[in-house]
Amino acid sequence: MKPKKKKPESSLKVRVTVVLGFFLVFFSAIFFRAFQLQVLDRDSLQHLAMKQHRKTINIQSKRGDIYDRNLKELAVSIEVDSVFAQSGKVENPREVSKALAPVLGMNMFELEKKLKTGTFVWLKRQVDLNEEQRKLVTSFEGVGIVKESRRFYPNRQLASNIIGFTGLDSNGLEGVERHYDNILKGSSVKIVGDKDAMGRMLLFEDLDKKVPVQSMVVELTIDKNIQYITEKALKKAVEDANAKGGTAIVMDPVTGEILAMASQPTFDPNDVKKFDASQWKNKSITDAFEPGSIFKLFLISAALEEGIVKIKDSIFCENGNYRVSDRVFHDHIGYGWLTVPLIMKYSSNIGSAKIGEKLGKAQLYRYVKAFGFGTKTGVDLPGEATGSFMHYSKWSNVTLHTVSFGQGVSATGVQLVTAMSAIANGGFIVKPYVVKSIKDSSGKVISESNPTIVRRIISEDTARKVTDMLIEVTKQGGTGTKAAIEGFDVAGKTGTAQKPDFKHGGYASGAYMASFMGYVPAKNPRLAILVSIDEPRGEYYGGLVSAPAFKEIAQESLSYLGVFPEKQDGMPKVQYIKNTIQPEPVNELEEAEVASPDPLRPMAIPDFTGKTVRAVLRMARERSFEVAVVGSGRAVSQKPAPGSSIPEKGPVVVTFQ
Amino acid sequence: MIRLKDLDRLLIISTLMLVVVGVVMVYSTSYIVAMKRFGDEYFFVKKHLTYAFVGLGLFIAAVKVPYDFYRKMAYPILILSAILLIFIFIPGLGFTAGGARRWVRLGPIAFQPSEPAKLAVIFFLAYSLAAKQERIKSFAVGFLPNIIIPGIMILLIMSEPDLGTAICVASIVFIMNFSAGVRLRYLFGMLLAAVPFIWLVIMNFSYMMNRILIFLDPWKDPSGRGFQMVQSFLAFGSGGISGVGLGEGKQKLFFLPEAHTDFILSVIGEELGLIGVGVVIFFYVLFLYCGTKIAFRAKTLHGTYLALGLTFMVVLQAAINMAVVMGLLPPKGLPLPFVSYGGTSLVINMIAVGIILNIYIRGNEA
Repeated sequence: MKPKKKKPESSLKVRVTVVLGFFLVFFSAIFFRAFQLQVLDRDSLQHLAMKQHRKTINIQSKRGDIYDRNLKELAVSIEVDSVFAQSGKVENPREVSKALAPVLGMNMFELEKKLKTGTFVWLKRQVDLNEEQRKLVTSFEGVGIVKESRRFYPNRQLASNIIGFTGLDSNGLEGVERHYDNILKGSSVKIVGDKDAMGRMLLFEDLDKKVPVQSMVVELTIDKNIQYITEKALKKAVEDANAKGGTAIVMDPVTGEILAMASQPTFDPNDVKKFDASQWKNKSITDAFEPGSIFKLFLISAALEEGIVKIKDSIFCENGNYRVSDRVFHDHIGYGWLTVPLIMKYSSNIGSAKIGEKLGKAQLYRYVKAFGFGTKTGVDLPGEATGSFMHYSKWSNVTLHTVSFGQGVSATGVQLVTAMSAIANGGFIVKPYVVKSIKDSSGKVISESNPTIVRRIISEDTARKVTDMLIEVTKQGGTGTKAAIEGFDVAGKTGTAQKPDFKHGGYASGAYMASFMGYVPAKNPRLAILVSIDEPRGEYYGGLVSAPAFKEIAQESLSYLGVFPEKQDGMPKVQYIKNTIQPEPVNELEEAEVASPDPLRPMAIPDFTGKTVRAVLRMARERSFEVAVVGSGRAVSQKPAPGSSIPEKGPVVVTFQ
Repeated sequence: MIRLKDLDRLLIISTLMLVVVGVVMVYSTSYIVAMKRFGDEYFFVKKHLTYAFVGLGLFIAAVKVPYDFYRKMAYPILILSAILLIFIFIPGLGFTAGGARRWVRLGPIAFQPSEPAKLAVIFFLAYSLAAKQERIKSFAVGFLPNIIIPGIMILLIMSEPDLGTAICVASIVFIMNFSAGVRLRYLFGMLLAAVPFIWLVIMNFSYMMNRILIFLDPWKDPSGRGFQMVQSFLAFGSGGISGVGLGEGKQKLFFLPEAHTDFILSVIGEELGLIGVGVVIFFYVLFLYCGTKIAFRAKTLHGTYLALGLTFMVVLQAAINMAVVMGLLPPKGLPLPFVSYGGTSLVINMIAVGIILNIYIRGNEA
């Protein structure tokens, strides 16, 4: 059949024009719709799109490591895998859970349930996976791995109460980890990236510019070896006494650096959940207790400083029974006349109460306050307790007596050691601290803690006299003979306090806090140590329960530090120009007044070059002027220059390197 | 005014421009996904280019073949096409991709028989409408065969199920019958008669019902059933007037399902903006204009109907696709001619352009 010749059909033209018209309307509608979407509704649509594309993630630097003073690792961060799932993307939850359960060490059904819930779910955080397991895990659609950093404490429970621990999200929850969380966390950068519908990051913006994230390294004043010695001795003492617990602190009395701090019972920060929360506490800081007889050394310091009693004065101790108002005080052995040093040596409550009477409420209160009681020491650890110490206007007659031998006042371990250090170092309250320096990952020092003198409270002379008395405590006939160390003079004081009964008021029978606190070598002290044993059973005297632990800690630490017996007094005899504590109006705490140089005996500033921080502090103390310490290491410069006279105001600035 | 002798060139230009836009956009859309899935960012664009060259070869061949061939071969081609559609239901030959049995594998070649079926129906109608031109107004001769025979093909396509193509073919059949002068009351009467049937189909295919619900309010469930539509809107909205720039679009990153196939216009909207969308629309309108002009210049009525049918096939599918991605029509699953990734569709459309050009060349012969 031949094709027909086309006839011009007018109806065809009309109808095709109709079709063309239809198409034109159709395309116009489409273009208008595009205009609507792309111009009219643009802002709201764009905003919605941005919201789903943009994902801000925090890239957190690896958490900084914590070292002891000799750069031994105490807390380190290691990278581990955390496995997550985006359940909507998991095709066959049953199969996936079957394959992954053994790898992740999880129950199959539990895993399957997780795979079916939520859009994002952690399957298992912080697991150790090998390369093969990692491959298997990531082979499933919707299951992925991110690197997280996990805290690891290589020494387990060692120093755990100081270091603290972190939570799953690497946030510090206790101890140094908590107090210095912001620093250990390091820097984090916010990175805005594009994500796809599966929530994966695809492209980063300005990644190169931002990424070098620093992690900070924190160096503690803690000495791992001394810490070990301390924990070992404390544990033994607590076990031997069958006690509830105990604490021990070792501090450098000159600088305020804490060398060791132990609590019993303790915990392993690698496995925090296995332990009771009460075991996480650093009880030397968080718990206040009645110090008992230890307190007598502050009383006697104050009385000597004020000239209320003299060394040679004798006080009648009432043969062991002394009635004040409605109370009768006892000594466990009845004494007659005792000199002040013997009151200290035998720890006579009646002798102390009588010295307290002479000193008076206002003065006693002023000194106790000046020693730091009732105020936080400001140690750089979380949870420090204040202790309780009533204002003297609220004291009864009896309170004056009880405070004199350490009842009716409570203090933390760190307050006690800090106060005693003032006697050991010749009269200065120093601020205790545990972080020595903070460095960035390249080793550059970011900040450094320097010894801080808070105030001066007693004269060198008083301090020396009290030290002499405290040496007698550990000698033949004293209450602390078990703390004596062959070849060294040990200054110390025992304390045995009945624990308050919070339920019934008054004191609990049979519940004691047995303490021994002291410093060695007595005349050139390197270590100030407090050992407190909580509720010992059987023997409960501090001199019997705590003194042996003190001895063990002191003896082993000294030998570790290379301090060997030298019987002679290494310190030059120092003449104080004038008492530095002024009989000022009471109930007012003042910063230590620096002795102004006597015009008759102008004193020159010595040359500190090449000396250590310790040596400089000691020299400054001997000459009674203020020093500002900058840096650490050896002295390289000072201002004013050597030989010039001591400035009337402001400290001598010594720079160390 | 466009000169008549430029019609061929303009048709080729609009076709090639759309193909080039397609290649560029398939690459831009798929490189990240291709990298992630196959480790080769060119994975999809390489395949697409291969089809484009196969299409070009068949386009040249079609230009050479006198279009009278399709008149003579109308029935054999129709029967062959119907057989291919039936192959889909034979296990081993037909296979499923994306939830529907739309594919047939013959030797090394896998293709969607519904695409050549479109051509077969147009070949048949062009032949039949031209042959029965004298009695086109009659019911039995002019209307029935031109509805029933394509109707069988449409039913076969629908049962794959490929409702999008079925509706597309049905629309072409309607438009061709309308253009050729079939009585309006028959045509609209048929439409009315089809309404209950269409209603039944929608009610029986739950996915159809879903699609209509989504179409009516995609924002009701933007993270579930409305996800694809909402993502498409977001793509258009992000693009604005001038677009975010080629390759810079974010919606294709797994947000927009089938971004490189059915929803490629959304990516064009995002990356090239309203300007890009406008240019694409312009080329289809130009294509429509050239195709219709060529149809009227054809020597034979068969040539006119053939050119019209092929032109409408391309442009109608383009219009439906664009309307769908912008939410003007319920989702269908139709590719954008020349632009979307997908071999069979690209090759068939290139062949169609070749045939139109042959009609043009014949029309110029003295």
